Amino acid sequence: MITLVFFLLIGAALLFSLFLLARRAARAEGSAQALVEAKQALQMLQGELLPPGLVERIFARQDFEFVASSTPRQVQELFLQERKRVAVSWAQQVRAGVLRLMNFHLGQARFYAQLSLATEMKLAVNFAVLLVACRAMQFALYLGGPFAVPGMVGRTVGKAAQLCETSEKSLAFLGAPALGGLSKDTARRPAAS
Amino acid sequence: MSFATTKRMDVQAAAQDMRRRTLAQIKRPLDRLIYLASLRDYNTGVYYHDGLASRFSEDAVCEALSDCHREVFRQLFFCSLEDLVAQLEAYADSTNAAPSDFIAAWQGLEPYRVSVPAETDSVSANFFFSNLRIALAILQNRLHARRLPRPDAWRQLSLGQ
Repeated sequence: MITLVFFLLIGAALLFSLFLLARRAARAEGSAQALVEAKQALQMLQGELLPPGLVERIFARQDFEFVASSTPRQVQELFLQERKRVAVSWAQQVRAGVLRLMNFHLGQARFYAQLSLATEMKLAVNFAVLLVACRAMQFALYLGGPFAVPGMVGRTVGKAAQLCETSEKSLAFLGAPALGGLSKDTARRPAAS
Repeated sequence: MSFATTKRMDVQAAAQDMRRRTLAQIKRPLDRLIYLASLRDYNTGVYYHDGLASRFSEDAVCEALSDCHREVFRQLFFCSLEDLVAQLEAYADSTNAAPSDFIAAWQGLEPYRVSVPAETDSVSANFFFSNLRIALAILQNRLHARRLPRPDAWRQLSLGQ
């Protein structure tokens, strides 16, 4: 009887170890996916959504002045409506990118980056503040139009760019050039194949 | 020299050739964008150019034209709305179509949607489409204003009589 219990215990221990191993492997795979997603979010923010030239172009006052001075009311309304749509969609995408980065840092970064508790806390607070700022900007653009809050847009973009830099440093071990090249190549594939 | 380096050099040479011989002859960025988009097969996304294909590999030509396309799109993206309106008006004139037909076709069919490079991000593409919609509305309005008789025209006519 004692021998049976002994072997049952050994069996249970082995099963438990197998379960732990399986869980660990699954998490490693999930983490790699999370890393790639975080890197993509970072590239999207830095390369597509936050470059100063693009932001200046979307919120260009010069275009507004041209339309206001040379077109009738209905064209001006169309212009404001179109620019508002683009601006709100841009703000939404910035927020979504920041959210994806934050989720990565909250859930996965500790497994990879050697971040101190203080840095992690600071990052968490900065992310939270930025998310609130993005939402506020989105509402302001929606309610006031694309030219209502230039200062707010500038500050939010600046803050987001800063946070991306910090995030990029903590992800630097990923080998950015290799991944960047891969994503660029993938993006070109449809045109080149 | 590695295969990748040789290919990159071919791509650069083909792109340079395209810029110098062909694109330099096309004055406006909007016309260049439409021309480059027309070199791309809608079904496969592959660019073709017979002249370049006789001197460079198919892959190099495709990549070179894709580079030029992105470059021209970027140039147009950063054009002011006023500039874009002027370019669109000049392009409409160059098609020899009646302005009202041109505007109606572009507003209805939105052919400019196929003119952007394949890997353009959604914000840039939407911004460009939106600017073209506004430019078309401005042109339509100008056309309408040209057709309407000036308020003083009747008075001049009656004075003449």
